Amino acid sequence: MSEAGTIQAPRTPGRRNVPRRAGAAGSKRRRELLLIWVFLVPSLLVFFLYRVLPLIWNLVLSFQQFSLFGVTRFTGFDHYVDMWNDEVFWITLKNTLIYMASAPVGIALALAVSLMVNSEVRGRNIYRTIVFLSYPLMTVAVGIIWRWLYDEKVGLFNFVLRSLHLIDKPLPFLQSFELALPAVLLANVWQILGFYMIILLAGLQNIPQNLYEAASIDGASGRQQFLRITLPLLRPAIFLAFVIGIMTSFTSFDLVYVMTQGGPSHSSELLINYIYRAAFELSRIDYAAALTVVQFLLLVVLTWLGNRLSGGDAGAVETD
Amino acid sequence: MSVRRRPGIAPARRYSHWPIHIALLLVSFCMMVPFYWVLKTSLTGENIFVYPPSLWPVAPHLFYYVDVWYYIPFARYLLNSVIVSGLAIVANVVFNAMAAYALTKHFRGRGLIITLLLSCMMIPFQTTIVPAYLITGKLGLLNSYLGLALPTFSTIVCIFVYKASFDAVPRSLIDAARIDGLSELQIIMKIMIPLSTSAVATNVILSFIWSWNNFLWPLIVVRDPQMQTLPLGLSRFLTYHENTTGALYAFCIMVLLPGIVLFLLAQKEFIRGLTSGATKG
Repeated sequence: MSEAGTIQAPRTPGRRNVPRRAGAAGSKRRRELLLIWVFLVPSLLVFFLYRVLPLIWNLVLSFQQFSLFGVTRFTGFDHYVDMWNDEVFWITLKNTLIYMASAPVGIALALAVSLMVNSEVRGRNIYRTIVFLSYPLMTVAVGIIWRWLYDEKVGLFNFVLRSLHLIDKPLPFLQSFELALPAVLLANVWQILGFYMIILLAGLQNIPQNLYEAASIDGASGRQQFLRITLPLLRPAIFLAFVIGIMTSFTSFDLVYVMTQGGPSHSSELLINYIYRAAFELSRIDYAAALTVVQFLLLVVLTWLGNRLSGGDAGAVETD
Repeated sequence: MSVRRRPGIAPARRYSHWPIHIALLLVSFCMMVPFYWVLKTSLTGENIFVYPPSLWPVAPHLFYYVDVWYYIPFARYLLNSVIVSGLAIVANVVFNAMAAYALTKHFRGRGLIITLLLSCMMIPFQTTIVPAYLITGKLGLLNSYLGLALPTFSTIVCIFVYKASFDAVPRSLIDAARIDGLSELQIIMKIMIPLSTSAVATNVILSFIWSWNNFLWPLIVVRDPQMQTLPLGLSRFLTYHENTTGALYAFCIMVLLPGIVLFLLAQKEFIRGLTSGATKG
């Protein structure tokens, strides 16, 4: 995208040289520079304290034996070796990967919705608002709401499924090994769907209208137009939605925390929940840091992969 | 790049809209049902030993909304949440505007700072919790309002929302103001901000929603029950006895309401903030 380029391009190239001519103007320029940095400091300080420094410290910590009161010393790859032998780590990693891998399903659903609300259908703004309404909600409350829907005795899901005679006896969704993680996932899709829709809608509205006109004149069918114009041009937006989808494997901490507490026996626990538990319940801060490194690397690799897939080769969509 | 509203963007094909309406109604139904179910429970409670559950609110009442104030220190949670969100909103509106204004000027290292900000956006807050906790501890800010709000004091997305708005202010207007003898601070207060009310609104809404909903950070930083915010109170309430079902969901509704109302009032600003931030990443 050209976005980064336009930010850095100087809009008025002549300005920079003007104040340097006279002494008075020079001191004015110095004052201006001082002001610029004074203005930047508060924000930069926050980002340094809570983004940059934690990232570095986290990496260092993962190679250390941390002690709050005693001496902190380096232990090399001990924590990573521990991790290799830690069964819970592998389960939570698997759950996190399932979580990330399910993002495309939600995105496909959101794509269908955004195509529909992008048509000239009446009341499209109302539909958009309704679909988006669940996104800005407090995730803890969303978790509690969905917990209630999944309730074994009086939950809506069990009621509907039983009324339709699809099941004989109520399903304990959140207490079941197989169903707990999908149940949390569904709640997550419900909340994030609107955000995907907004991103994809912005992408759809950036596609030049005349492409469709030209295609219609050439006799392209609606399906061909979708596969050869809409999807390829929507790739940046889809990539963005994918990154957001990957990120929900972090933000769903709240959902897992209130819906299942990671249970039954870790079957719905995500890495981020394990990180929290390791650091603040099991008092293994250093081990939690090592887990965080793994999760961060996972994020970086998947984002890079998504980027390659969305922009790397141009023929991928059309051959489908 | 923000979402431009272009009417009639869809290809002008002639077909019936009914299938689309039916599909969208179905989606809307699925999106709204959870709200309805919780609202119903908050008004009638639920006897978990009776099956089937009633689909309609039978004899609704508002007593559970009153109960919430007695079961838990709701007022205290609310106060804490309001203070923390208030701090975050004020800090965001001021600090982000300052940073964005600085970035509209040309100076050495500007490109570097923008690159730094864009890469910081790729670090999710959740991956920083362990050191962030230690740092906050070293600053002596555990269990304090400042410690709760500090990580959200400035938001990169919101800086770029401001910057886009400041960049759109005509150069000539600023030059004219400078010739008239206005200081930099006066230029910001009298020209930039009044011309960027929509960016200010975006900042207020996003920082409110994010700090109001924040759960993980308060969970880590707060140990003192007196300092707990609404999401923490909500998750604690969950562990109470079962006969508080109605009150729990009344509590849910009360916590969700401010966000929903604000969102419905300023949907455009909210979405603009999200999409402009998103396309920058």
